[in-house]
Amino acid sequence: MDEDKASLNKPTELPEELRKKPIIERGAIDLMAIAIFFLLITPLLSVHRVTDFMIFCIFAMSFDLLYGYMGRLSFGQMLYLGTGAYCCGLFIKYIGGNPLLAISIGIAFAGMLAMLLGLIIVRTTGACFALINLAFNHIGFFLVLSPLREITRGEDGFGVSASKLGVLNFGSRPIMFGFVLLCLLLVYYCLRRLTSSPYGILIRSIKEDETRVRFLGYNTFLYKWFTFILAGAIAGLAGSLTALNYNYVNPNAMDVHSNVGVVFACLIGGAGNLYGAILGGVIYMVISNFLPIYIYRWEMFLGFSLLIIVFRFRMGVWGYIQRFWEYTIKRKVVPRLMKKEAI
Amino acid sequence: MLVIKNLDVAYGHAKVLHDVSLDIEKGETAFFIGRNGAGKTTLLKTIIGLLKPQKGSITYQGQEISSLSPEELYLKGLRYVAQEKKVFGNLTVQENIEIAAYASQEPLERALDKVMSIYPKLEGFLKTKAGQLSGGQRQILLVGRSLVGDPKLLLIDEPTQGLAAIVIEEIVNILTGLKDQVSAVIVEQNLAMVNRLADRIYVLKEGKVAREIINKSEISDTKGLEEYL
Repeated sequence: MDEDKASLNKPTELPEELRKKPIIERGAIDLMAIAIFFLLITPLLSVHRVTDFMIFCIFAMSFDLLYGYMGRLSFGQMLYLGTGAYCCGLFIKYIGGNPLLAISIGIAFAGMLAMLLGLIIVRTTGACFALINLAFNHIGFFLVLSPLREITRGEDGFGVSASKLGVLNFGSRPIMFGFVLLCLLLVYYCLRRLTSSPYGILIRSIKEDETRVRFLGYNTFLYKWFTFILAGAIAGLAGSLTALNYNYVNPNAMDVHSNVGVVFACLIGGAGNLYGAILGGVIYMVISNFLPIYIYRWEMFLGFSLLIIVFRFRMGVWGYIQRFWEYTIKRKVVPRLMKKEAI
Repeated sequence: MLVIKNLDVAYGHAKVLHDVSLDIEKGETAFFIGRNGAGKTTLLKTIIGLLKPQKGSITYQGQEISSLSPEELYLKGLRYVAQEKKVFGNLTVQENIEIAAYASQEPLERALDKVMSIYPKLEGFLKTKAGQLSGGQRQILLVGRSLVGDPKLLLIDEPTQGLAAIVIEEIVNILTGLKDQVSAVIVEQNLAMVNRLADRIYVLKEGKVAREIINKSEISDTKGLEEYL
């Protein structure tokens, strides 16, 4: 009986430590794992391609914050990526070549646009939320394509050439790679801290049932709005990096059809988990980069994959890895090893 | 403490509550009983600010609250425990408590102590997803969580619905223990519970208050109360 009590009490002592101490330690391990993973795949895929993958992973994390954590499916996240890309590119083209300032401008404008549109958008849920985002994305796409063509050069787009900033020469692929990797790790770390905090618990609760969160005294609108702005700003960062990586911006950066990619990445990786978003981002990029070489109309494959994921594998790849770890390694292998050690 | 006067509530054009008036004093445990569709849950939802009345007033501690939102009412000490034992199933038990502690700016340890004091067994499930708890444990978690912060009035909707007799007994014991600490309004069909806990009963029938019972002998008369269900 006493043993039972003791075993019941065990988990209560653990969480306090787990909650405060390991976030840094585990976070550091995560950061190293991510960095090593991207460094390892670089020789296989080329520096430029992996840089592109990492930018997409940043974008996937911004989408995951909205969809995976807060439960709001957006079909218009490309609007903020495009805003970041255009603002960063236009700043370099018309005002100054400082790449860091240009990136900051891209993030700030994407965040401000999300702040403005969020006032309307976050009041909605479900299909309405998804479609309003899509509608704004369409508006943005046609704005850069036509009415603003004097500045954006319409369909042709424009070249972006950032000036050197000490050692920070974005014309050099390895430096661009290192900078993007740094951004990816920074975004991952910040989002990890944020989603492990009470704020993270709150947005996950909003995903489950917003009304019940209101019963607990929260003004859910403010939290949703903040999350929307944050997701927009991170997408803006991804957009700015895209502009610098390609040295070129055109309306494809805001193309509504590209939203499918980020939705797919989150679903295949496992929504509601930053690792899932990164893994899904890489899987999607591998598929979209290499499948067209072997399969004509490869998008059809994406469609079938999406159907299979939705019907059979909702937890995504990372979800199943976690489950495997929980049930096989943690519950069977670890106790067995501990038993051996005791003997 | 809570005074409702001439309250009319409607869902669209369908009026659900008609001219409801009641008065609950500080420290009391009041029950709303009545048949399904009598308007008990609607009345609770109106008090907590989910539904806006067409007519009438709701006064809490001398202040009109009918126009306030659920989050504003939470800060005034009103706690709503909805029916169907809806915890945040994907969050752990600890996170379910933490989210309430964060809202009321109460230290997590104190919040955990409060919940554990009413049901120590929950301590072993702190890292378990709340969705994996049994119905009774979920209900106890919800009641426990409502004690976080500085609650003054608990509004509990059908706390024993669908639970086994042994769990109901446990919940009744918990609510009995809370009687001296906080006022409560409970919607309930379980008359054994009503007999043991009620200081005042309002019988609702077709959206109206059919009777107010404050007489102790009437409250403990299960047979007499049965005719209202």
